Amino acid sequence: MAAKVNKKRRSAVQSVVCPLIFGIALIAAWQTGLLHIVLNTDEYVLPYPTRIITIIGENSDKIMTNVWASVQVAVLGLIFGSLLGYLIAIFATVFPKYGSGGLTIVSAFNAIPIVALAPVIINWTKDVSSEAEVRSAVAKVIVVTVVSMASMSVNAYRGLTELPPFSDDLMKTYAAGRLTEFVKLRLPNSVPYIFTALRVSVPGSVISALVSEYFAEYITGVGRQIRENILIAQYSTAWAYIVTACIIGIVMYAVLMVIEAIVLKKRR
Amino acid sequence: MKAIRKIVNSKAFVTLVWIAVIIIIWEICAARVAEVKRTPENVLPHLSGVIDSLTSDRKINGSQTALGMVLENAGATLSRAAVGYVIGIAAGFILALLMSLSGIIEKIAFPYLMLIQLIPILGMAPIINAITGDIAVSRIVIAAILTFYPVAANTLAGFKAVRREAHELMYSYAANKLQLYTKTMIPACIPYFFTGLKISAPMAITASILVDTLQGGIGLGCLLSQSLKGAMTRYVFWDIVFFSAVIGILSFYIMGLIETLLCPYKRLEKKGR
Amino acid sequence: MKFSGKTLAAVIAAAMIVSTFSACGSSGSGSSTTTTAAQAETTTTTAAAAESTEFVTTEGAETAAASDGDRIIAAAQAGKVGNWGLGNEYEILALLTKYGQENRFLSQAFDMDGFDDDSITLASAMTYNELGLVQNSYEGGYGYGDSVGIIDMNNEGVAMLEDNLFCTKAFAEANPNTVKAFISASMKGWKYACENPEEAAQIVFEAGSSVSSDHQAYMASEVKKLVETDTNGSTVTDYGKMDEAAMQQTLDLAKQYISLDDSTAAEKLQALTLDDIRSTAYWTDAIAGSFDAPEKTDVSIQLKWLPQAQFMGYFVAKAKGYYDEVGLNVTIVSGGGDIGETTAVNNGTVDFGVTWVSNLISANAGGMDLLEIAQVYQRSGLVLVYKK
Repeated sequence: MAAKVNKKRRSAVQSVVCPLIFGIALIAAWQTGLLHIVLNTDEYVLPYPTRIITIIGENSDKIMTNVWASVQVAVLGLIFGSLLGYLIAIFATVFPKYGSGGLTIVSAFNAIPIVALAPVIINWTKDVSSEAEVRSAVAKVIVVTVVSMASMSVNAYRGLTELPPFSDDLMKTYAAGRLTEFVKLRLPNSVPYIFTALRVSVPGSVISALVSEYFAEYITGVGRQIRENILIAQYSTAWAYIVTACIIGIVMYAVLMVIEAIVLKKRR
Repeated sequence: MKAIRKIVNSKAFVTLVWIAVIIIIWEICAARVAEVKRTPENVLPHLSGVIDSLTSDRKINGSQTALGMVLENAGATLSRAAVGYVIGIAAGFILALLMSLSGIIEKIAFPYLMLIQLIPILGMAPIINAITGDIAVSRIVIAAILTFYPVAANTLAGFKAVRREAHELMYSYAANKLQLYTKTMIPACIPYFFTGLKISAPMAITASILVDTLQGGIGLGCLLSQSLKGAMTRYVFWDIVFFSAVIGILSFYIMGLIETLLCPYKRLEKKGR
Repeated sequence: MKFSGKTLAAVIAAAMIVSTFSACGSSGSGSSTTTTAAQAETTTTTAAAAESTEFVTTEGAETAAASDGDRIIAAAQAGKVGNWGLGNEYEILALLTKYGQENRFLSQAFDMDGFDDDSITLASAMTYNELGLVQNSYEGGYGYGDSVGIIDMNNEGVAMLEDNLFCTKAFAEANPNTVKAFISASMKGWKYACENPEEAAQIVFEAGSSVSSDHQAYMASEVKKLVETDTNGSTVTDYGKMDEAAMQQTLDLAKQYISLDDSTAAEKLQALTLDDIRSTAYWTDAIAGSFDAPEKTDVSIQLKWLPQAQFMGYFVAKAKGYYDEVGLNVTIVSGGGDIGETTAVNNGTVDFGVTWVSNLISANAGGMDLLEIAQVYQRSGLVLVYKK
């Protein structure tokens, strides 16, 4: 028993240490210029980590303003999209015939490239507010909503319908009503699937928030800064924002993992 | 009567009803937009206008009609998407295989595999361009990067899903690693592999359109940004929006079809029903 | 299966609370990121701007300078001045500063829908492109005709030079004859294009242009004006010449209004002189015709934007065989994407590029080593357009 725990612990330590060593090695190669030789590029296009960190340090206030703008859009869009997606999945479960057709339509939205979606939605939301800041935020949130809706609806639908074998028979023997069956069986069953969906849509929401900023009227956000700096050939600054964007994604993903661990642990 | 009921109950009919509902809503909104906006086609055109633009034989640029232009650019984008997709699949499968062979590789690679999804790859495009030195190659590479994650993640899940008993059975037969993989692991992961393929097929297409916008030249994304920027008719933009949506959905079903054709288990499933 | 609906309900409720909370936040946090370091100088009028007293007659001459000022102030106060940003905004920032306004503008899409629906009342437009779309009623046009007026950057004294021709210093040093031959043939193309704008428009249209032939013809006629007139309104006969005073004004304005987050780059920007960004030697030799066989014969040029009459000189030079005459095989790469022309030239994927002088300046400040070798546009083509 002790050996097993030990083995488990060693494995856990390994899964932290191994990527960490790899990461440190990568950054070391980057800083020493080895990476530049391997990738055949210069320190202009790929600035040294120390330079990037210096720029982040120098502009922390401005970067935080942009981070806040992007995170708001990503989180709001993610929440609205996931709720909407879940509602669609419920609709599809209750009305299986027309619902699953609707599900196909919703997932079709995912086939529209975001570079086409964003300008269209910005045009559609022109009358939402006379304040450019507000209508831009609304447009960006809608883009993220659409993107995160599809994965949630498809996954949640699976969670609500792919029940453990014989479980619905069991519910029937209890003479449970449809509502009881839904609340006691289907909803709990869909919880892991919600997290499967979120694992896809959390990175998706960050990326789509960044891309929608390219097109928004009100100039703000990490994505806009990346593009702005690349176009005026300020690669060091652009990298500072790219690194920032990665950190946003990692933090949001980590938060998701923690929530998932807490919620799913309670189930066991 | 029975025949009618059969049609009404069919899946195709349901989808048609949905499409009809969407068209009706679209047209109502378009009618409203046409009343209040000076250039309604920039906001929400009537679908008839979009269809007209596809069927009209008027030349948009020096030599091509709208349809000709969309098709030519789509050809370029789709071929790049296909190459990127194949590279992405190969890389994803090999990585998944390596990860399942070695726990250490899995532990090292998996967090970074996730990280790739979180990198704003568009922002890194100029860097990839600088490395490859050629815009067409960069486009393919980026499309491959954006598509290989679902393949790798799903295939790995497939390897892991091989039942313990199967594993132990092979062990008791004293099968070597190669046999283990060719006889049990790879066959077992194929359904998962195809799930990855189905998810990433539309992604490869949207990714290719996205990376087209990086620089001028030929491609749906180039044409898309041109029609948004220039004095070209905006209907070209709408043509591309609809075209890319249709292609994206089709790609999903095409992969499903390929799965059915190649894999015996799918055909059996169908027969069983 | 002990899990009850309660946990789920709690999660959903929490999500709702967070969403309401963030919704409040999004409307509450009102800081603008376009407000730059230049804001500190809001009250100081630029030296260049003070000098500008000359008024060049353009269309809409009845609009007195004073009322233009009022328009700018009104639109700026309402937050309805538009520009595309992404390195195109410096003249607008200089103009806003001149009238004591905050350096803030809306990001304008690359169409004029925002101007059309009044979300932008003072919209940026290039005389040869967007202005034509606003005024004319051909395909893609909005048909406003004479009911719109313009504020010209040249008249306001905040003109910065735009489309030029550049390559890297290293390339110019290694291939001087290629550079000279390329300039020579290109300027011959520009001369022909300006003498025959309709034909030039047709050549561009057939070369796979992105815009309608009507708009192409309009563009050619307007581009001709920019190539043949300087910022003071005088005629220029030497195609591609670098006007010392206009270049210096561009550099001075660039130093004031390009704000860089990278302190190393910002310092370098302030230290730049004209000699760091341009060399007149290649152009002088090219015009005099004193160059030998090119060292590199297969060359490419990346345009700043989509293939259109804005770049007609190069399309004409290619179509008329001027490049062949000097022994060059030229590929024209269109731009307009996120891989900017400065990046493409710097990393060697193309040999030559067309960019705005301000973009070349910021690229060199960021660490590139680019060199302007000819200045095709002699005056600013940027105007602000408003509904009368």
